[in-house]
Amino acid sequence: MNEFTQVQDLVTFAWWIALDVAVLLYVVLDGADLGAGIFSLFVRAEHERGAIMSAMAGTWDANETWLVVAGGVLFGTFPLVYGSAFSYLMIPLMIALWGMITRAVALEFRHLAAARWQRFSDYAFGVSSLIVAFFGGLAVGAVLNGFPITHDPNAPGAYVGGALRCFTPFSIWTGVAAVIATTLSGVLFVRARFEKDEPIRQQAARWTSTAFWLALAVVAITVGLSAILFPWARGKWLGPHMWMWIVVLLVVVFAAWRMRLAARQDRDIAAILWLNIGIAVMALSMMATIYPWLIPNTWTIYDGASPAVSLFTFTLAMGGFIPVMLAYNAYQIWVFRARISALAAYH
Amino acid sequence: MQDSPLSVLLSRLDFAWITTMHILYPPLTIGLAALLFLAEWHWVRSQNEAWYRLVRFFEKLFIVNFAAGVATGITMEMAFGILYGRFSAAAGPFFGQVLGYETITAFMYEAGFIGLMIFGWGKISRRMHLFATFNVALSSTLSAMWILDANSWMQTPAGVELKNGLFQVTDWGKALLNPDVWLGFPHMWLAAVELALGFVAAISAWYCLKFRHVALFQKTLKASILALVVVAPLQVYLGDGLGRVVADGQPAALAAMEGHYHTYNPDGSVNTGWHVIAWPNARGDGNAWAITIPHVLSLLEDHSWNGKVQGLDEFPADQRPPVLIPFYAFRVMAGAGAALVLLAFWGLYLALRGRLGAAQIARQRWFLRAVIAAGFLPYISIWCGWWVREICRQPWVVYGMMRTADGVSLMGIGQEIVWMVGYLGFELAVWGSVWYFLAKIIRTGPDLTSPVAEDGHQHLGALEPAPHDKHAAPSYVRPV
Ligand code: HDD
Ligand code: HEM
Ligand code: HEM
Repeated sequence: MNEFTQVQDLVTFAWWIALDVAVLLYVVLDGADLGAGIFSLFVRAEHERGAIMSAMAGTWDANETWLVVAGGVLFGTFPLVYGSAFSYLMIPLMIALWGMITRAVALEFRHLAAARWQRFSDYAFGVSSLIVAFFGGLAVGAVLNGFPITHDPNAPGAYVGGALRCFTPFSIWTGVAAVIATTLSGVLFVRARFEKDEPIRQQAARWTSTAFWLALAVVAITVGLSAILFPWARGKWLGPHMWMWIVVLLVVVFAAWRMRLAARQDRDIAAILWLNIGIAVMALSMMATIYPWLIPNTWTIYDGASPAVSLFTFTLAMGGFIPVMLAYNAYQIWVFRARISALAAYH
Repeated sequence: MQDSPLSVLLSRLDFAWITTMHILYPPLTIGLAALLFLAEWHWVRSQNEAWYRLVRFFEKLFIVNFAAGVATGITMEMAFGILYGRFSAAAGPFFGQVLGYETITAFMYEAGFIGLMIFGWGKISRRMHLFATFNVALSSTLSAMWILDANSWMQTPAGVELKNGLFQVTDWGKALLNPDVWLGFPHMWLAAVELALGFVAAISAWYCLKFRHVALFQKTLKASILALVVVAPLQVYLGDGLGRVVADGQPAALAAMEGHYHTYNPDGSVNTGWHVIAWPNARGDGNAWAITIPHVLSLLEDHSWNGKVQGLDEFPADQRPPVLIPFYAFRVMAGAGAALVLLAFWGLYLALRGRLGAAQIARQRWFLRAVIAAGFLPYISIWCGWWVREICRQPWVVYGMMRTADGVSLMGIGQEIVWMVGYLGFELAVWGSVWYFLAKIIRTGPDLTSPVAEDGHQHLGALEPAPHDKHAAPSYVRPV
């Protein structure tokens, strides 16, 4: 597959950025929904749990659809990666998908159900949020581990290596890390969405501090583990451009500090923005660390790409559709921005 | 562990089950969104409150169905890579691109407006709301177009060549406008409209039969039945055209669909017999018994008295699709299509005699019962249509170019069984709850008392609206 022209290389590179942006948007937007779901497991009052679901009712579908977009871009532009990585990740993806099914149904049908079923549906909602976060994080860790593929000149590389290879101590750790990080994001979401004097908001505020320190520790440990486990990461981080990585680290620490500050001053939107800036910077530096691999030691972005990528379709998608999509998503979030009270669950 | 016939069969069944359960929901989303748009438009223009009540009522049903479509659909996007990894990698340059466009141009588009459509009442202006409904209808249609385009290309692959095991696109125009999509998509889209009409008609008929809200539901019943007078025959016409596309592009598929084993009769003349019903023999090279009408097959496929139609015996044994399911599924679909035409004309007759007016409609007991029963027919047709289409393509995943057995992921049988068991449970649970909640909403009936949604009261300006009075109604009210 070395018939790539320079333009194609460039387009492939640009699609790779688009893919990462879609994943990042998913993590940021749906992460908050998932985290709020995990938080709801610890909320005692039934109507408050219902209110959490109402708070995301208008936007959760759009948030989750970023995952579908990421899948679509992956399939369209990196079909060789899509075809092999997804069969490698079958078990975690399958369980995460079951979680998403359960979540969607619990969320949409709760307000129609009788009281007895509402309690069941709340529980299902919380547990499935937890499952999606855990197995999503596990999949990311498993991807960082890489996987074996066939090398047949007459067929694209297919995954060989069994169903359970994706479960390693590292990938299980990243699953746990994802749960903690989304919980932080979810707690901030709950704070921003509820009236200031609602008890549920105060409960969320109490959680913020713990979640914050846990998340910080988890990030530090994950970075350390990566440096130990992955030569490609160690090589880059401690290489000639080490100063750059130190700057990145400082930016992340700064964002974390500002987030904490904003949270303590009850400036909820600012706290969310700083958290997301921190996440974005970490995601970008992760991308830069892995580059040119898309999946370390398995697929580079150029080997995994479709030979059919073209500048035309890329421009159409990025110049035309994506900005429009972002515009109406923003409008939608705007329409549903008002703080709510726990009363919302009664309707 | 890998590539055994059992493992291939299991991946096929795994995929078949999830698509079969997914296709229950999107067609109603597509068709009902279009109908909701028309009804809402009518309300905005005429200010007739009845249409507002109807819109709000059917929208409740729409939401339940939509949620199930999303819940079962997310799996679909991932399932190609999980179950059909090698097919996905090889066909990705075309197939993946098309699905990628679908997610970008249709799903995201739809997701952006559906929130506004469902929860935007009273928050955005009426015109903005109508615009949101329009966009939901348009985007779900776009989604069907892309999906059908991808699937049609699997039936009649064009504009590609296989190089190093990868489908390289040589001509985007040809690939996108492959022969099958021209009728494949309109047939599917119309199926969605027909399904929504049948759905609305059946529910309206149920209310009339129970003497509840007759004045209200007489409107939707009459309108949908009259629309069916146009739609149902048109669907039969498109289906006939699609049959000829299959005869051209996939002769083996057509032969299987018709249980047509022998091109020539034993005496050397062309075999023109069409089987009404038949049963394949044990060896699978002919029918054990059949009720056959001469010349009909040639008439149907070739529009001639004695035209030759290729039989299964012209294809090597390892390139013949299964016969039994496609043969009967096809007949069920066509029979249902015909039944819907008859029903529509019965309705037309009653309408012309003035018996579908608000005063008389509840007395047409048998007609109302028939309409309720017919509400299930489009669902059954859609299932059968897809089973015909997908099973007749076997043993190919991309017709004539890539075999299904070469497209499946290299998986263990255990994995496939876990998948199957899990999805049996989850999809049935979704289906069960959809039934339960649709029935509950219908039993409760439309809300005739809440105030009509006003134009929106959202001001642009403050990021954090002032906290309001504790005893006032919450600013965010989830519509029920
Ligand atoms: C005739 C139309 C049609 C057909 C044949 C299919 N779908 Fe579908 N699908 C839709 C029409 C649709 C829809 C109407 O557009 C839905 C229903 C709810 C929604 O969001 O979009 C949907 C939902 C939906 C979603 C969820 C989107 C979201 O999160 O909003 C995905 C990922 C897919 N589908 C993918 C597929 C795949 C891979 C199919 C191939 C077998 C498939 N669908 C068959
Ligand atoms: C764009 C839409 C679709 C695509 C791209 C698609 C693709 C596929 C693929 C890749 C397979 C596996 C290979 C095979 O066995 O043929 C398959 C099988 C199957 N699909 Fe679809 N499918 C689509 C829509 C549907 C829908 C909507 C249904 C059902 C309502 C359906 C029903 C089936 C069935 C029953 C099989 C099993 C066929 C067999 O094993 O003999 N498909 N399809
Ligand atoms: C007499 C009436 C009908 C005829 C002759 C007919 C014919 C066909 C044919 C030939 C196919 C293609 C099979 C293949 O590609 O292998 C098909 C598919 C299909 N049919 Fe029909 N059909 C009829 C009625 C209906 C009705 C009433 C519905 C639903 C309301 C329906 C829904 C579908 C669907 C969803 C498919 C699969 C998608 C597609 O091929 O577009 N059909 N039909």
